[in-house]
Amino acid sequence: MLDLQSLAVGYRNTRGVVLSGIDLAAAPGDFVCILGRNGSGKSTLMRTIAALQTSLDGAVLLDGEDVASMRPATRARRIAVVLTERQFNPGLRVEDVIALARQPFTGWQGELADKDRAAIADAVAVAGVGPFLRRYFSDISDGERQRVMIARALAQTPRLMVLDEITAFLDLPSRVEIMALLRSQAKQKGQVVLLSSHDLDLSLQLADSVWLLDGGGGFSVGTPEELSQSGHVGQAFDNEAIRFSPSQGRFEISSSASANT
Amino acid sequence: MAARVSTSGAALLGSLAALSLLTLTYGQIALPLTDTVGALTGTQSTDLARQIVLEIRLPRVAAAIIAGAALGMAGVLMQALFRNPVADAWSLGLLAGGQLGVALTVTAAAFAGPAAVSFLTFFEGPSITLAAAAGVAVAAFAMLALGRRVGAITLLVIGLMLGFTSQGLTSVLLHFAARAGGRVYGGWRDASFAGVAPSALAWLSLPILIGACVAIATAKPLSSLLLGETYARSLGVKVTSLRHAVLAATVLLVAPVVAFCGPVSFVGLIAPHFARALAGTARILPLLPLAALDGALLALAGDAIVHAPWEQHFLHLNAILAIVGAPVVILILIFSAAVRQWR
Repeated sequence: MLDLQSLAVGYRNTRGVVLSGIDLAAAPGDFVCILGRNGSGKSTLMRTIAALQTSLDGAVLLDGEDVASMRPATRARRIAVVLTERQFNPGLRVEDVIALARQPFTGWQGELADKDRAAIADAVAVAGVGPFLRRYFSDISDGERQRVMIARALAQTPRLMVLDEITAFLDLPSRVEIMALLRSQAKQKGQVVLLSSHDLDLSLQLADSVWLLDGGGGFSVGTPEELSQSGHVGQAFDNEAIRFSPSQGRFEISSSASANT
Repeated sequence: MAARVSTSGAALLGSLAALSLLTLTYGQIALPLTDTVGALTGTQSTDLARQIVLEIRLPRVAAAIIAGAALGMAGVLMQALFRNPVADAWSLGLLAGGQLGVALTVTAAAFAGPAAVSFLTFFEGPSITLAAAAGVAVAAFAMLALGRRVGAITLLVIGLMLGFTSQGLTSVLLHFAARAGGRVYGGWRDASFAGVAPSALAWLSLPILIGACVAIATAKPLSSLLLGETYARSLGVKVTSLRHAVLAATVLLVAPVVAFCGPVSFVGLIAPHFARALAGTARILPLLPLAALDGALLALAGDAIVHAPWEQHFLHLNAILAIVGAPVVILILIFSAAVRQWR
């Protein structure tokens, strides 16, 4: 169970508060998509939820415990993240990357026990990364890399998975596959999966609930149907060129834009 | 993987023992192998053999092994910490920084007067090591601060340039120090294992031993840092304190080498690459013993070539290490799949 209690996220510098007064909850098994345009605060919100940055106000509770005051090692057993940033060391093989997910569970040597190997084998099978386990991480394609990072997060057997913009570099079939995979993992393992995306179509089709950031510090929450019917999706994304059509459930090029082309 | 690590470890250890025995036996004066073994075990041997083996060759061989192992481990730590496949104590200017620290200390003592010089001479082991440690630490912090702003190859070039600058300054300082009565033992400006007195071996090995323990203790969180800072934090690593611990280990490993053997090049840079190739993993813990062993082997091999029975003594350790090491680095940069993204 993930609980955000009057959470305010942002920075203690000139950027200031990005979002505030957030009261939201997600139950185990929920696949939640966080939608919003670039700069609407998706990453800031997700980093705060994963305690990678401090909140300005309020609290993030996971199963009733404040994530910010958890011991780092405890938090690492419960929350797994996948981010867009890539600052990897050379010489890392895919199997190393996935095995590192088990570090919060191992002793000082980092030696893997049977249950760690089982978690890794399970994650490898689910994410379908078996064929390139021995390859160098720097040597595989973007799509393969995202799969590896998802396998790594799965191997961490977390209560909460936080995935930021992970589908941005993938083609449509891979995006569908990965989002469906995450959704079914959430259901099977009873995890909360938070996924930020600007991939509206897919998110609206697959998410249990959508947290929609409008870019001006406001947000709305609901099932995909509720949000598209109420016009909130349109408010968050429409501009002169495109317009969200609630009846179709997708975007349309607005007539003025198509007249220009 | 564990099997690979122990097999390669055993093979390296065997080669190291064989090469040590060879280096103890051959030289300007070749001894029968039985005399060498006898001198080592304290059983039958001639006085001459005992003197040559125990007093001349053994300290040199021990220094080469200890220093090579320290540089190899420090290379593993630095390549992980800097996220840079060509980082090591020599290439990023830490060794030159340490030399500058020593030179500054000696010069300051020389100008402070004879009392300071005799104090420095009397406590040569600890004071030179401390001076080197200060220089290494300053250089390491500077490079770490820079490393977050520039790319891997830029950092390498800057490290080499700062190294040259430090060496230039060291040379100038030592000139003035010598005129004012200060002195650092010969052969130190170039790398050499021959200048390490038997009494200095303790000062060489003690900090290195502590550094190795710190390195082993930080191995697990440092492995997480291979994924980058944010992922490391998400795995429960306290990144800032980890950085400090790894830097401390690096200084402990490197400073005694600078203080007693000078700027030994290339060993720390290529030993981790051999270790990774042997271990088949980038995880830090299995790399440390392998890098220590192949660092020791490289250093000792260089020393063995320098002290082979040539007509005259003409080879410098760093010349040998450069002839072997530089092409290896070039090959790594061009061909290694592991560093493909870093060119």
